[in-house]
Order: sequence, then C-alpha cells, then structure tokens
Amino acid sequence: MTAPALYLAPDATLPYCRGCGHALVVRQLSRALEHLGVPPRSVVLTTDIGCVGLADSLFPYLHTVHTTHGRSTAFATGMALADAILEPHGLKPIVMIGDGGAMIGLLHLVHAAQLNVDVTVLLHNNFLFGMTGGQHSALSPLNWVTATTPDGNWTPPLDLVALLRTAHASFLARQFATSQELATTIARAIDFPGFSLLEIVELCPAYGARWNQASGAALEEIVERQGYTVGGVEAEMERPTFRELYHHELKSRRPQAPIAEVPPIHSPANLAGELRLVVAGTAGERVQSAASALCRAALAAGVYSTQKNDNPVTQGSGFSLSEISLSPRPIEYTGLESPDVVIVVSADGWEELRANGTLAACGEKTLLLLDSQIDATPAAGRVVRLPLRREANPKRAALAAIAAWLEKDPLLPVEAWEAALAAEPPERRAESAAALNIGRRLACL
Amino acid sequence: MLAEGALAAGCRFFAGYPITPASEVYEVMMRELPARGGLALSAPDEISSLCYCVGASLRGLKALTATSGPGWALMIETVQYALMTETPVVVALVQRLGPSTGGATQGAQGDVWLAEFSTSGGYTLPVFSPSNAAECFELAVHAFNWSERLRTPVVVLSDKEVGMTSEVVDDAALEVPALAHRKVATPHADYTPYALDEPDGVPAFAAVGGEIKVTATGSAHDQRGHLRKNSPEVIEVLLHLERKIAAQAEEMAMVRADLDPAARCLLISYGVTARAARQALSKLRSEGSRVSFLQVQSLFPIPQRWLERATRGVEFVFVAEENLTGQYRAALAPFLSRQQVYGINKIGSLISPKEIAHAMQGVMA
Repeated sequence: MTAPALYLAPDATLPYCRGCGHALVVRQLSRALEHLGVPPRSVVLTTDIGCVGLADSLFPYLHTVHTTHGRSTAFATGMALADAILEPHGLKPIVMIGDGGAMIGLLHLVHAAQLNVDVTVLLHNNFLFGMTGGQHSALSPLNWVTATTPDGNWTPPLDLVALLRTAHASFLARQFATSQELATTIARAIDFPGFSLLEIVELCPAYGARWNQASGAALEEIVERQGYTVGGVEAEMERPTFRELYHHELKSRRPQAPIAEVPPIHSPANLAGELRLVVAGTAGERVQSAASALCRAALAAGVYSTQKNDNPVTQGSGFSLSEISLSPRPIEYTGLESPDVVIVVSADGWEELRANGTLAACGEKTLLLLDSQIDATPAAGRVVRLPLRREANPKRAALAAIAAWLEKDPLLPVEAWEAALAAEPPERRAESAAALNIGRRLACL
Repeated sequence: MLAEGALAAGCRFFAGYPITPASEVYEVMMRELPARGGLALSAPDEISSLCYCVGASLRGLKALTATSGPGWALMIETVQYALMTETPVVVALVQRLGPSTGGATQGAQGDVWLAEFSTSGGYTLPVFSPSNAAECFELAVHAFNWSERLRTPVVVLSDKEVGMTSEVVDDAALEVPALAHRKVATPHADYTPYALDEPDGVPAFAAVGGEIKVTATGSAHDQRGHLRKNSPEVIEVLLHLERKIAAQAEEMAMVRADLDPAARCLLISYGVTARAARQALSKLRSEGSRVSFLQVQSLFPIPQRWLERATRGVEFVFVAEENLTGQYRAALAPFLSRQQVYGINKIGSLISPKEIAHAMQGVMA
C-alpha cells in the first residue's frame, strides 16, 4: 500500500526541460518532507521568479506563495517573523530561488541569516538566468558562455556559501542536484532550527549545457576550479533562533518610564491671541528642550501650542532652533510669517536666523531677546540684550531667556512652570529650576 | 500619533528603516509594539521592510511600515504585489521635499502622484491624508480598516510638517472608529483563494500556516490562484481588483466640508496646507467674501459626490497644495470641467494663509 501523496503529486507532470536539475530537486524535496513527516499545512513553499517558480502547482497540499524576483526570502522571513509571536506556531517557510534571484535578493538572504529565522532556502544554482534566455548571472563561473557573455564570463563568480558564513548563517550546505544524498541533505536543512541554505549545483540543459558543451563531469570540474566543496554540510552551528532570541530580548527589556503627565493648574493664561516665537542657539545646548518646557508650561495653563525643531543634519553641531506657536485656541497654520518674539542665545543661532529669513521677517513690534555676546543688530524690532550665557551658562541660557521674557510679559502663571517641571525627568528638575530663577533675576536688571 | 492610531487599529507587526521625516513612527513602534503583544523590527532596507510586512500579513497579522519618498520609491514593487495578492498592509508615507534625496527636513506634498499612480495598470490605491496630529491617529485607524475590509494596500500620506510638529491634542475629543478585520474563510474543502462570488466582493482570507491551503501569487491568476495566460477569468480577477474598491468609494469618502450655499468660489486643500487654507477662509469671510472650503482627507478614491456637492453653483475652484505642478488638482480636473480651476502652489516652505487669500482675491476681483 502506498502512502497518500501529501507532498509532490505522484502523477504530476513536471514542467521542466529534459535533464533539468529542478525536476530532481522537487522530487527530493518531496522525499525529504515525507521522511521528516512534516505536516503539509505547516510548510509554506515560497517561490521566486524563474523556472524555480514553477514548483507551486506541483505541491497541492502545501501552502504556496509565488513572489517577486529575488524577494522570496524576504516574504518568507516576514511570515517566519510573524509566526514567532503566534501560538500555535511552527510555520516552516521553504524558499525556492535561483542564482539570479539570490543576487538581486542578496540582502534578504544576508538578513535572514543574521536574524536566524527558521527559513530553509533551496538555492538552485545553474549558473545563469534560464527562463529569460540564458543570461549571465553573478554566480556564472569564469569563461562561462551565456547569452550575454558569448565570449565567456570574465567576472569572478560569487561564493554565496562563503558570503553567508560571514552573515552568521547557521546551516550551509552544497550539493549536486544529481547526488544520491540530496534528499538527506534537504531533510537536514529543513530539520535544522534556524536559517539554513542549501546550494544545489545543476546544469541548465537549454543554455548552460549546450553553449558550454558541459556534462555532469564538467560540472564537477567547474566547481573544483572555483574551489567549492560539494557534497557536504559546510557549516552547522547551533545558535538561538529568532523566536528564542526575540522572546529572550522581550523578557530582558528594561521597564520603560511612563511618559510624565503635566498636571493641569487653575490659574488662567494671559494670552488673547496667537503668539509666534523662535528660540535659536547652538546644538547640544538644550535649546529645543527649553522650547518643549515652554510648551508644557503652556499646556498646563490650557494653552495650545505647536513646536517645530530644526538643526543641521549632523544633529550635534551647528545651530539648533525651535519655532513655537502659542494660542488659546487650536492652531491651524504653523508657519512663522512675522515672529512676535525671537530669542537668540548664541552666534550659531543668529547666523541661522539670518540665513533662513527669520530676522528679515521681524517687524517693528518684534521683541528680540539676545545674548549680550551677539553684537549684531537686526533691521527691525525691539532689542533687549542680557548676559544669558555668562550668568546662566550656555546649557541653561535658552530656558533662562524664556523665563526672562515671561517675567516682563507674564503670559503664563508661575504655577504653569511648576507643572512643567513636574513633568521633567527628576535629574533635570533642579537644573531647569535654576535656569528659570536666573532668567527671572536677569529680567529685573 | 500615526503610530498610536496604528496600535489602536490592532496593528501587530511593524518593520521599518530609518528615514527623515518618518523615523518618529518607526521609533514609537519599536518602543510600543512589543509591549502590546506585537513585533517590531529593523529591516535592512525599505524593500525588505514592506516584504516583511506583507509576509506577516499573509500569516494573518495587521502590519505597518513607515517611510518617505525615497523609501517609497523602493517599495512600489511590493505595494503592487500586495495589491495583486490581495494582502492587507498599510504604509505611512511621510513626504519630504524631492526629487531624489531632496530636502530631508523640508516639508512637501509632492508624492501624491507617486503614491497613487504607482501601480502598473493604474489600479486605485486608497490614500488618506491627515493635516494634524489628531487626524494622523484617526486616519491611521481608517487606513487599517479599509485595508482589512478590501484586502488591499492603503497609504497614509502625511508630510514632514504634520509628522514632525509637536502639537497639543485633546485626546478626549479623539474619535476611535470601530475596528474592521479581514473576513476570514472557514475551513471547507473547496476554498477558492481569489473567489469572485460577488462581482464587487472581497474574497475571504486564509492565513498561511492555517488549516486552509493558501495559494498566493503576484502573477496574473485565476480564482484558484493558478497562473493562466489568455484566460478571460484572469481578466475578470484583474477587473475585480479595481471594482471592489470602486464599489466602496462613496463609503470611503472623508472630507471636512465648510460650504456656503451662496459661494461662487470653492477652495480645496488637503494635508498640512488645509490648515493654512482654513485660516485663509476665515480671513476672506471676515472681509465679506462668500467662499466654500473642502478639506479632502481621503484623496483616493476621489470623493466624487462631495465634489459635486461642493461645486454646486461654483464658478471658481482653487486647489492649494505644496507641490510644483498641482498634482491633486490634475487628478480632480476631470470632475471640475464646468468650473475655472486655479492652482495655488509652492515648494520649499509652507503655503501661508496670506498667500492663499491673496491668490484667490486676485482672481475674484
């Protein structure tokens, strides 16, 4: 009595050319699955573009996902990643990809190996693109004649097994399609927990064999010349699978501090309409955090705010600035047009506001609160200079400047700042309180 | 807030790659998703990001990725795959100034065409466009809902000015729409993965790894998922990809309309520019102009019925958007053939309320 055909349908007409290694691979894959007794519904055959992609219809009981060129490994990785957080789990993606697909999708192979997802890749290496007419691939041997290298290939072939070893692939093997051991090696690759890749070396009868007068014996010579060992497992390294690593990582995560709440206060803000403010200084000197503190204080007093930050691409050098709108009503347009208040605490900030047009946009009513070290003068606006950097120190200068401005123009009640400080990390509170006090004192000078 | 919306929508998978101005979504998902029973992961590039999301969705999870124009360009191949395989997935496309690397920290609304017209064959990709943080939340939920209901990729088209501006959100006023989930197939012997039982219907979903055998393919296929050439059934399956979306177009329509029945002018805008437009509207009205305003939140499918309503009796239509050539204006043009249509366009910085009002007054005078 024969076992029911759970894998390759026994009467399947294989769609491959006569003598194509792909036919051997699907038969041996079926045998390997049968040997392992893998439940068909736990396997997803993920096929790439090319003749390898014809395998889907041959396995009527497996899940099949026929993908785009080179991406089969990435889709399979996505399925395996999702499976890692599901219960019950145990999905086994098997990728069928050619040498062409392996190169265009190289990054996906590298990352799957790094992640050690439980994906098995059967790399069908027949040294060229078969379905599209026998073009050269990155795995074509030297001197290999293809449709696009009629005088022989002159770029050295890529050794994918060696390359993936450097990506920490846990299981790597290479085997001829004709090998008696193929089913056993496929079974070992599938059974291996984590990423496994088996390179199956074969000849394309339509192009490779014909144009290179190559036979099975020649194939052995070719791979020998390339320094490949064929027929053995090249690497088998037990290491935690993605699923194990991820769950371990989750357990060892540090608990996150909850986002601090800004307690509401009961004294109202003294703000009739929208107010636009720019704070500018030097990166790393807490310009943007001072702006955030102001927005939190405003929030405590029931004032709407928007804050937009800008700094050079390097993040930690040059200027740093925040544009803020404050309003008793929800804010629509967040652009600056003409600012009401401009605070500049360093030369970097001044230079940037000159370059981005903010200074030119200042009107006669604009208040410019500048650090005393900035000796330039704007075309329009009321200028107030304070020794912010000297008195408060550069890292407190922006917050001190905001405090100084609000001391003169009390839009927000003092309690708003207490609420804003309560929402700051405890280690920052004393610093911020000091900055505010210095600012208030400077305003009285 | 877009990430929070995705979490509220039941998103359980995120794969991302850093890019300004979309990295905020990436970082929030990396921080929040694992704690809420999902998986968030750094992918090695944008192509992998979306492939991982589609793979996870095939396994049954709601999935999101976030990117900007340069990354979206790389994702278009996989967007089409999701469309063809009828796999739900949501992409947050946070626009920045293009072309190419462009200006990473400069806002723009230049990816409207790139988002919508990214499929070979011109299939409709639902696109939602938020104008502020609260809308990021709400439209992310709607995007997931429609992606699930229609089994198709959906885009949330934000931009740097919306995505990277901190603003106060009244969370008590946030509306969390009822959640929708893909219709799941019940195991039976004759499951048809791309069934066309109803002409406008959406086939029931079976997850890879489940009891029902899945046959998914990005190649032209029949109802059973088999590759067929020259088969009328394959063409029917392709037509159905568009029909299922067209059938829901009216229900998908989302606008914020502020119409004046006596208006001769209609101002249309979306995304961040809608905020300046709303302010321009107040100014014009305070000066006595009769103007209607339509903020479009569901850019595609185009909310035709709302357009018809808003243009009743209207002679002039203005479309304000932060791009060079009036991308959404061009998409709306076939529906505005009886009006004179003007674009209010600019690149490099926000269009201001003044500029909008000025442009409109110039024509209306």
